[in-house]
Amino acid sequence: MSDNREFIEEFLVEATENLDQVDRDLLALEERPEDLQPLASIFRTVHTIKGNSGFFGFSKLGALTHSGEHLLGRLRDGKVRLSGRVTGTLYSMVDAVRSILQAIEETGVEGEQDYRELSQSLVAVAVEDPTGDEPSRPTAGPRSDVAEPSSASVVEAAPPAVPVASVTAVTTPPPAALPAAVATPATAPVPAPIDAARPGPAAVDPSIRVDVGLLASILDLVGELVLARNELRSVAGGDPALEGAVHRIHAVTTALQEAAVKTRMQPIEHVFNKFPRTVRDLAVSCGREVQLVIDGADTELDRTLVERIRDPLTHLVRNAVDHGIEAPEIREAAGKPRAGRLRLRAFNESGQVTIEVQDDGAGIAVEAVRAKAVARGLVDAATAESLPDDRVLQFIFEPGFSTAAQVTSVSGRGVGMDVVKTNIEAIGGTVDVSSARGVGTTVRVRVPLTLAIVPALVVRCGAERFALPLAAVGELLSLRPEGGLQIEGLSGAPVIRLRGRLVPVVFLDALLGLPPVSATRDTGTVVLVRVDDHEFGLVVDGTHGGAESAESEAGRSGSRARLTEAASLTTIVVKPIGGLLAQLGLYGGATVLGDGGVVLILDPRGIRGASHLPPVVRDSDAPSPPPTLPAESYLVCQTVAGRRVAVPLDRVARLEKVTLDAVQQAGDRRLVRRGDAFTDVVDTDRALGLPPTGVPVADGPLNLVVLDDRCGGVGLAVRRVIDVAAAESALQPSLSAPGVSGTLAVGGLATEVLDLAAVTPAVPVPPPFQ
Amino acid sequence: MMRVRTDAGSMGAAAASRHCCFLVGDECFAVPAEAVAEVLRDGRITRVPRAPEAVIGLVHLRGRIVPVVDMQRHLGLAVTTTARTHLVIRFQDDWYSLLVDEMLDVIDVEEGRVEPCGRASVEGPEEPVRGTFAGPTRLVHILDPHRIVLALARQREQSLQRHGAFHGSV
Repeated sequence: MSDNREFIEEFLVEATENLDQVDRDLLALEERPEDLQPLASIFRTVHTIKGNSGFFGFSKLGALTHSGEHLLGRLRDGKVRLSGRVTGTLYSMVDAVRSILQAIEETGVEGEQDYRELSQSLVAVAVEDPTGDEPSRPTAGPRSDVAEPSSASVVEAAPPAVPVASVTAVTTPPPAALPAAVATPATAPVPAPIDAARPGPAAVDPSIRVDVGLLASILDLVGELVLARNELRSVAGGDPALEGAVHRIHAVTTALQEAAVKTRMQPIEHVFNKFPRTVRDLAVSCGREVQLVIDGADTELDRTLVERIRDPLTHLVRNAVDHGIEAPEIREAAGKPRAGRLRLRAFNESGQVTIEVQDDGAGIAVEAVRAKAVARGLVDAATAESLPDDRVLQFIFEPGFSTAAQVTSVSGRGVGMDVVKTNIEAIGGTVDVSSARGVGTTVRVRVPLTLAIVPALVVRCGAERFALPLAAVGELLSLRPEGGLQIEGLSGAPVIRLRGRLVPVVFLDALLGLPPVSATRDTGTVVLVRVDDHEFGLVVDGTHGGAESAESEAGRSGSRARLTEAASLTTIVVKPIGGLLAQLGLYGGATVLGDGGVVLILDPRGIRGASHLPPVVRDSDAPSPPPTLPAESYLVCQTVAGRRVAVPLDRVARLEKVTLDAVQQAGDRRLVRRGDAFTDVVDTDRALGLPPTGVPVADGPLNLVVLDDRCGGVGLAVRRVIDVAAAESALQPSLSAPGVSGTLAVGGLATEVLDLAAVTPAVPVPPPFQ
Repeated sequence: MMRVRTDAGSMGAAAASRHCCFLVGDECFAVPAEAVAEVLRDGRITRVPRAPEAVIGLVHLRGRIVPVVDMQRHLGLAVTTTARTHLVIRFQDDWYSLLVDEMLDVIDVEEGRVEPCGRASVEGPEEPVRGTFAGPTRLVHILDPHRIVLALARQREQSLQRHGAFHGSV
């Protein structure tokens, strides 16, 4: 037995694949019963399985396929006409063969299941002739030993006359009947007609079976080769002959790596192939008529991904048949064709694979979703009302969300779409839904081509390097102490201002517990990371220009160069780091860079979770509270004299730190030079009408709140910036205090809001500092 | 999964199994030889921020990325030397590199002669030493790879908790 093991495994794999083909052929046969080609193909497969089972001594399988072959032979010869009952019985046979194969695979033997009743049904269907145009029924050729003695009783034992919906039940152990007659035929001589059908697949298969482990090790070895090549390149300098050889090795290695990567790809067909049968069974059990259309089955995906989208897609297909497509009568009443159309489509799109599951059914009741979302507290009623329909639809991916009025055995228990979403996101994909009432629903799944090799951005943070999957990177922004992008609200929730949005930022060094590279956070690079529907800035590489001062102009000019130094784009091979470290939740793996260094791959989702960013509502377009700060946000500062004042945040152009000796006197103006322009410096206390306090300005840098960026702008000198915070009360207008437009509560304290028009006169202010 | 070859040496005696001995500090420890994948002299170590304290980083081992466990820290010994040898072990599907001071012999450990515990310094279910064996020349503390991994996982949980507490300040 164990000597045969290898052959048996080969047989199992081949037979299982061929059964999938049988499923498809049966479907084709149902559509065009007159087409003999699918029938011949089914016959071949069943015959091959029968032959092999005899060879390996699987008697149950032999008996079952023998009966099946008999029925198929009668069909082919036109002795039996195709009917729902015939195909139903054949489907049951395919299922039974599958479960026997599975049992053999798992246990090495056929298992306890009894298939004699099914065999009898096959035989019964074969002898039965509902049209009566074959009068010679009693002598059924060479198989009279099986069919003849029992034809009457067998028909009774067979499934009822409308069996299609219940055929799957036949595989459960039936009470034993007619034990002897059917169990033996496997050893009976094979009749002649089959010989014609013996040849296997028409064309020679150009592929071979390779163990996935072997492919993985090839990929690992190629990775090693790439490293060795890089080393070689670094030592080959000088010798032209050697350099030429190294160059060729370089080219070959690159090509080899690409080829090795391709070996892991598999057409999505491997998932799609199961669906014709799934859809057929579902349609039968749900009482639907469904026409399945498959496009782009040759679209390739990494093998591991193909496996992992199988369940989510199956779920979507079930949903479409059960909830999407209406019953035939309802469709007719609505003026649609009786048969619903379910379309599966896969295609490549911008480095990802998109898979659409589209039905022309009833569509999703947007109002029901809206109501449910409000009822479940996912969104408040007013917001829900203002959300566009396509936004509302996405709520169906929330946990426990189901609008199905009717719970069926197939779907509709309120679980599912959230699991689909979770599973898709787990492999770095996204899913969204669009639907039109009465027209249909489309669910769009986007997944990366591969998980093993991804483009990534390598960032530097202090002495460490990290890789960030490029799919999560929105853009790179350079922080600049003067004029450019700055981090605000350092003492509270730090944000950057980006095209009118306030984006929360995370300091990678702080998050990872690395030594902080900059206290003031005015240099470095912000990587805008998008994960799910959230967005945040990841601050990396603060090492350059660590000094906070406004000096080192030269360093600033080369911001692009600095960016390249801080971060570089590369393609990485993702390697697991083992359960121990993976469960830290911060790293998605590790990779080996060209220089041989091991680099951790940051998990954007994990970083988002670990940094406790404020929750962001799914819809950034909605008028609901924006993710980070409400519109009425204020920059709260303390003046040199100690007054707590607030400036509307949308008026603040930037924050700046200058040293006192950088402030130049020009006439009666105090100016800070910034590039070609000058910033007017306003003594805030003085502008508020306070007499100069005589409090010496702190030795440290002076904080400027720069209001108008044109021509250098106007900078309000303050002692320190306290926070960025939302207004907690309405503005209470102030009539008396000069330079103050009113008072409101910010950060739990009464705070005066500066009247900017008053404190920043167009004419230069008098000398502010004593 | 892995077929263990039964050779006369290891299975002949009642319950003796081969163990690889090594020094950490001035104490002698051993792991089952069947768990040992290989021994590596030097390796460039990449730090893993937020990892358990004893996990000092990752090394690249022929296509595999392997966490490095500093055994001095892990066993609660004084952290002294910097001269290090990587003893790479397999546990379940994961590999770990134990950073030890010096590799010693391979010995046969008779199960019946393993005393419950010979190290007073550490106690408890995560104590990676499962017993002590009087070897030919010295006492050998027998390490259980499973317990090593368990102890690391526990340290990771602690580190994650500290990590959580840390966030408020940034």
